[in-house]
Amino acid sequence: MTLVPAIGRELSNPPSDGISNLRFSNNSDHLLVSSWDKSVRLYDANGDLMRGEFKHGGAVLDCCFHDDSSGFSVCADTKVRRIDFNAGKEDVLGTHEKPVRCVEYSYAAGQVITGSWDKTIKCWDPRGASGTERTQIGTYMQPERVNSLSLVGNRLVVATAGRHVNIYDLRNMSQPEQRRESSLKYQTRCVRCYPNGTGYALSSVEGRVSMEFFDLSEAAQAKKYAFKCHRKSEDGRDIVYPVNAIAFHPIYGTFASGGCDGFVNIWDGNNKKRLYQYSKYPTSIAALSFSRDGGLLAVASSYTFEEGDKPHEPDAIFVRSVNEIEVKPKPKVYPNPPV
Amino acid sequence: MASVQKDPILQVETTCGSLLFELQIIWDEVGETETDRDQMLLELERECLEVYRRKVDQANRCRAQLRQAIADAEAQLAAICSAMGERPVHIRQSDQSVGSLKQELGRILPELEEMQKRKVERRNQFIVVMEQIDSITNDIKGQGELVHSEPLIDETNLSMRKLEELHCQLQVLQKEKIDRVETIRKHLCTLYSHCSVLGMDFNEVVGQVNPTLSDPEGPRSLSDHTIEKLGAAVQKLMEVKIQRMQRLQDLATTMLELWNLMDTPIEEQQEYQHITCNIAASEHEITEANSLSEDFIKYVEAEVVRLDEVKASKMKELVLKKRSELEEICRKTHLLPVSDSAIDQTIVAIESGIVDATMVLEHLEQHISKIKEEALSRKEILERVEKWLSACDEESWLEEYNRDDNRYNAGRGAHLTLKRAEKARNLVTKLPGMVEALASKTIVWEQENGIEFLYDGIRLLSMLEEYNILRQEREEEHRRQRDQKKLQGQLIAEQEALYGSKPSPSKPLGGKKAPRMSTGGASNRRLSLGAAMHQTPKPNKKADHRHNDGALSNGRRGLDIAGLPSRKQSMNPSEMLQSPLVRKPFSPISTTVVASKANIATTTTQQLPKNNAVNEISSFATPIKNNNILRNLEEEKMMTMMMQTPKNVAAMIPIPSTPATVSVPMHTAPTPFTNNARLMSEKPEVVEYSFEERRLAFMLQSECRLV
Repeated sequence: MTLVPAIGRELSNPPSDGISNLRFSNNSDHLLVSSWDKSVRLYDANGDLMRGEFKHGGAVLDCCFHDDSSGFSVCADTKVRRIDFNAGKEDVLGTHEKPVRCVEYSYAAGQVITGSWDKTIKCWDPRGASGTERTQIGTYMQPERVNSLSLVGNRLVVATAGRHVNIYDLRNMSQPEQRRESSLKYQTRCVRCYPNGTGYALSSVEGRVSMEFFDLSEAAQAKKYAFKCHRKSEDGRDIVYPVNAIAFHPIYGTFASGGCDGFVNIWDGNNKKRLYQYSKYPTSIAALSFSRDGGLLAVASSYTFEEGDKPHEPDAIFVRSVNEIEVKPKPKVYPNPPV
Repeated sequence: MASVQKDPILQVETTCGSLLFELQIIWDEVGETETDRDQMLLELERECLEVYRRKVDQANRCRAQLRQAIADAEAQLAAICSAMGERPVHIRQSDQSVGSLKQELGRILPELEEMQKRKVERRNQFIVVMEQIDSITNDIKGQGELVHSEPLIDETNLSMRKLEELHCQLQVLQKEKIDRVETIRKHLCTLYSHCSVLGMDFNEVVGQVNPTLSDPEGPRSLSDHTIEKLGAAVQKLMEVKIQRMQRLQDLATTMLELWNLMDTPIEEQQEYQHITCNIAASEHEITEANSLSEDFIKYVEAEVVRLDEVKASKMKELVLKKRSELEEICRKTHLLPVSDSAIDQTIVAIESGIVDATMVLEHLEQHISKIKEEALSRKEILERVEKWLSACDEESWLEEYNRDDNRYNAGRGAHLTLKRAEKARNLVTKLPGMVEALASKTIVWEQENGIEFLYDGIRLLSMLEEYNILRQEREEEHRRQRDQKKLQGQLIAEQEALYGSKPSPSKPLGGKKAPRMSTGGASNRRLSLGAAMHQTPKPNKKADHRHNDGALSNGRRGLDIAGLPSRKQSMNPSEMLQSPLVRKPFSPISTTVVASKANIATTTTQQLPKNNAVNEISSFATPIKNNNILRNLEEEKMMTMMMQTPKNVAAMIPIPSTPATVSVPMHTAPTPFTNNARLMSEKPEVVEYSFEERRLAFMLQSECRLV
C-alpha cells in the first residue's frame, strides 16, 4: 500500500488549465470536471481512471450530471451542451447571448437551469430535440450578471454581481419569490443551498460566509449570521482570501469551504463551529464536491485567477476519503438545554 | 615262548643270548682263541654300554629342554600379566608339583595364548586411543594438515589405568577441540556481522586469516595461531566499525544541526531518519547490514555536503530568520529591538559577500542567548506589568461603565457586565498597591542590573509615575465633579425656590467630555451611544435607521468600510479590541428591520458610530502598539537595507500548517479590517468583475494576440 498523502489522492490526467468546477455523480463515484482548457472530463474517482474527455469550443465554466451516462456543460462560447458519455456525443441545447457561467439540473423539475453573464437565467428541457425553440422553456431577466446558482427541491437561488440574490420557486418562475441583497459587503463567489432546504450559504471574495434562511419570519431570520474564514493573520494584519467554493455534506449537513488560501475547512453551521481544517493544498481551492454518501471529498486545487495572470502551481484534483469525525456535527455544550 | 613274547626286553635278552650262542658256535667252528674271544666279548659289552650312555644323555637333555620351555612360558605369562597390570591367574607353586613336566607345559601353554590374545586386544585399544589423541593434538597444534605417525606404545605398560589415563587425556583434548571450534564459530559470527555492517566480503576477510576457515565443508584449522589471528581480525574490524560509526554519527549530528537550522521538512528528513536515529547508539546496537559500509558513508557524506551547500545558499535567509527570531523575542519581552549596527552591517557585508555568513549566524545566536537570559531576568516584572496593564484596562472600562446611565438596564448579558464591574472595582482598589509593588520591584531590578528597566523603550518607572500622576489628576477631577454636582444641586434648589421648575438632571452629564487615559485602551463608543440615546430616548429607532442608510450607501459606494452589520449595542470595549484567539460570542445579522416579502434588504444598525469608535481606538493605542509600529518600521528599514521586502521574507519562512482536529468556534463577530480595505478598494468602482470574467477577458486577449 502506498501512503496516501494527507491532502488526498491526486488524480492522474488533470486538466491542463484552471478547473472551473467538479461534481460527483448522485449514483456512483464518477466525477465530472470542467476546465478552462475547453474540456469536460469524466473520472472514476475510485479507480483513478479517466473515462472520457469532451472538447468544447471555449473555456468550460461549469458542468453537472444528468444521470450516470450523460451530463451538461456550459461554456464561454455561450452554448449549453448535453454530453452523452457513452457515445461521446454532444447536443447543443441552446445558447445565451454571453458566456454561460453556471448550470444546474433539477431532478424535481426535470429541467436544466443555466445562468449567464447576459443577465439571464434560462430553463431547458433536455429531452427535447436539438434546437433552441424546442428545448428552451423560459428566459428570466436578472438584475446583474449571474455568478452562482444553487438548487434545493423546487427552490432556486441565483447570486449575481452587485450582491443581488434572487430566490425562485421552479414551479413559478415568472418572478422571484424573494429578492434579497447579500448580507456580505463584497462580491459573491458561491452560493449553495442547505441539503435540508431551509436556506443557503453564500461566500464572498472577502473571506466571509453568511448563513441565510428562506423563512422570512422574525424567528427564522434571527438565526442568520455570517462568519469570517480563510484569513491569515500576519504581523497583526489580516490577509483575506476569497472563498471560492462551498460543498454541503449530503448526510450531516455540515459543509466544506475552500478559499484562495489553499485551505479546505469543514464547518458545522448549526453549532457555529469549525470541525476540521485539512492541510494546505498547493494553490487556491477552485471547487469542492462530496460524493453521494459523503465518504469522499473531491478538491480542485487550481489557481482561480484572483491575482490575474501569474505563475502558479499546476492544476490538480485530489480525492480524499472523509472520516466521520471530520464532518459529524459536534453539538454545542449548553449550560442549559437550548430553548 | 609266550612269556618271551610278552617281555621285549626278555625277548631282546633271549635274542642277545641266542646271538651269543650263535657266535660261540661260529667261534668254535672258526676256532678262535679264547683271548680273542674274550676280547671280542669285551668289545661287545663296551659298545653296548656306549649305546646306553648315549640314550641316557639324550633323555636327560630332553628333560632339560622341557623344563626350560615351562620356565619360558611362565616368564612370558608373568611379563604379560605385569604389563597388563593384572595378577597372573596361575602362579605355579613349585613345591606343589601337579604332574610331569609335559603335563605342566600342556597346562601353561593355553594360558599363555589366552593372555597373549588379550594383550593384543589391549594393545589395539591403546592404538585407537593414541591415534585419536594424536589426531586431535595435530588439529590443535598443527597447521591443519594431518601428520600420520605410528603411535608409540609402551609395551610394558598396557594396564587399564594407563588406558583410562589416555581416555581422560583424550576427553580433555576433545573438550578443548570443542571449545576451540566454539570460539572460532563465535569469532566467525562476530566477524560475519561486522562484515555485513561494514559492507565487506566475509569470505575474503576470513580467507586472509586462514584459508581453511572460508571452506564451509572441509576441516578448519583450530590452532592457537588461527584463533589468535581471528581474534585480531575481529578486533580490527571492531575498531574499523567504531571508527566508521563515530564518523557516521558525526555526520548525522551535522545533518541534524543543518536540518534544524534550515527547518528541513520532515518528508525530506525521513529519508535519513534511520541514520539519525543511530546518533546515540553504541557499537553493538548497530547491526543493520551495510549500515556502515563505505558506500553508505559516502552517501551520507554527499547528503551532508549537499545540505551544507544548501545552507550556504540559504545562509542569508537563515540570518534573516535568526534576526526575526531575535525580534520576536524582543517583542515578546517588550525589549527594544536591538539596533545592533554591527549586525546590520554584517548583513550588508554578507550581501556583498565579504563576510562569512556562519560568523554572523553565530553572532546572532550569541545575541539571542544573551537576550533570552535577559528576558528571563525580566520575566517576573513583565508578568506584573501585564497584570498592571490589564488592570488599567479594566479600570478604564469601569470608568466608562460608571458613566453609562443605562448600565442597570436588564438586557442580554447584563448580569455578566455587572459581575465584571464588581470584579473591576475590586481590582481597582488593588491597583495602587500593585503599582507600588511593581515600582519597588523595578527599582530593585535596576539596582541589581545597573541599567534602566525599559518596557518597549520606555522606562517602566516613568510609565508608572505617569500613571500615578494621571490617577491623581483623575481623582482631582472626580472631586471637582462632586463639588460641581453639589453646587448644581444648590443652584437647582435656588432656582426652584425662585421659579418652581426643575431642569433635566441629565443634561449637564451628557455634555461632559470624557477624560482619556493614556494607559488604558478604552473607547468612547459607549459614551457616544449612551449620549445619543440619552438625548432622544424615544425616536431611537429612527435615528438608527438614519445611521443605517448612511452605512449602506457607504458600503455600496466605496466598499471600503468593513464590518458586518451588527445590532450588538451592549458590546463592551474589550470586545472591540479582540484578538483572533479570544473566543467571541456570535453576533447575528440584524433582524430589527421588518422584512417585507418582496424585499429583504439586510440593514445595519449603528454602523457609523461603531466605525468611528474603532478608528479612535486605533488612534490612541497603548504604548505597546505604538512601539510595535515603531518596531515594524525599523524592521522594514532593515529589510529594505537588505534589498528585500518584508513580504518576501515572510514568504520564505515556512508557516507550519497543522490541520486542526479540535473544533474551533467561528469568528463571527464583525471586526474592522481597515488594513486590507486598501487591498479591496483597488477594485474598479464602476463595474466589479468576477475572477472568471477577468480570466476570460485575458484569455480572449491572449488568443487574439496569438492570431
